[in-house]
Amino acid sequence: MTAVWFAALALLLAGPVPALLARARWTWQVPRAALVLWQAIALGAVLATLGAGLASLSLLVTEEPGFPFLERHGPVQTTLIGLGSALVAVVTVRFWVVATFVGVRTRRRRNRHRDLVDLLHRNESLSQVNAALLSGTGVRVLAGPGRVAYCVPGVRSRVVVSDAMLASLTPEEVRAVLAHERAHLRARHDLVLEGFTALHAAFPRVVSSQAALDSVRLLVEMLADDAARRRAGTQPLARALVALAGSGDPGQEMPVGSAALARVRRLAARPPRRGLSALTYAAAAVVLGGPTLAIAVPWLQASYRALAH
Amino acid sequence: MALGELERDVMDRLWAAGEPLTVREVHEQLAAHRKIAYTTVMTVLDRLAKKHVVRQEREGRAFRYTPVASREQMVAELMLDALGGVPSVDDRQAALVHFIGGVSPAEAAALREALDAVAPDRGNSTSPA
Repeated sequence: MTAVWFAALALLLAGPVPALLARARWTWQVPRAALVLWQAIALGAVLATLGAGLASLSLLVTEEPGFPFLERHGPVQTTLIGLGSALVAVVTVRFWVVATFVGVRTRRRRNRHRDLVDLLHRNESLSQVNAALLSGTGVRVLAGPGRVAYCVPGVRSRVVVSDAMLASLTPEEVRAVLAHERAHLRARHDLVLEGFTALHAAFPRVVSSQAALDSVRLLVEMLADDAARRRAGTQPLARALVALAGSGDPGQEMPVGSAALARVRRLAARPPRRGLSALTYAAAAVVLGGPTLAIAVPWLQASYRALAH
Repeated sequence: MALGELERDVMDRLWAAGEPLTVREVHEQLAAHRKIAYTTVMTVLDRLAKKHVVRQEREGRAFRYTPVASREQMVAELMLDALGGVPSVDDRQAALVHFIGGVSPAEAAALREALDAVAPDRGNSTSPA
């Protein structure tokens, strides 16, 4: 019975729950708590899947000799339980293999990109104003046609901006952009993104991993926006967002525009109510704590009984 | 001098030369301005070859080095990689984190409208919550 409960919980946390949460707008008010909730749901789904597998395995394999479950419940139920265990094993192995590949690919592209940035950046073409602004370590300026601002996360991280971008923003706006990127690097947002990217790469269909990845991407940006507005002010940040959002190559439509709009509108919104953040954290604790307790408590009880004998 | 700066300097010489150079030729150019060991230049060129930004070709007993592309081409390639925005690729890796992606003209107009709603100084000053 435990196996069925865990399987139901895993399905719930992998499908309808993320689909619903992805549609919610209140999460934008508390991006940090919402990100914790997203991670709790993902981890909770993984734990519930493992729990389902372990529980059904323990039904099949007991300390009695032979196959008592088969004798008691017949071949049909035994086969079903066996298939369930196999499915859990496949899901688990698939996730770790894909996560490893995502990690390797991500780091390879990142290293290559950083090598090239370090080789090709310009530090002689900077004006006085920009030189003062960019004096922080790890900021690189590219001289080229595109207006770009991004960061290369990792141990040897870089913030990269193009001189075309610098030319189209005021110094205050540049300060906001840099504060935003530094917030990404400082808080290692890339690790959160990598986790959900791996989840989506491993299970692109059936579960709501695309919705989860899109939501987490947006929330991470909003979190960095909050850090940037504290350092550089709300207005410069909003102006920088608008100025750079219009810079997309018209021939190349990218489906992230509504995200930019949501971010600017959010900057004009009122601050969140105090309780919302606490409620969200509480929900995360329940999602993660519930299944964990359900696995841990029976296991501890069983171990205790075994030791007592 | 840091190895990174030296790599940049060597690349500039190779681009400026317009033809494949030997280690000795690069060393001669660099040694005119500063004290630098021949083996250091060799190491730097080797590192650049490992990063696939210069091509190494054998000529007699010496190696000649040439950039794989012009500086402008390499910057353009880098920008394309940075702009990325190919969802099928980005869904399989999380290499770079952007300030913002591109948007369509209609969305840009909506954005400017939304900007007007952002009141001055909110977030900076202590506005009543």
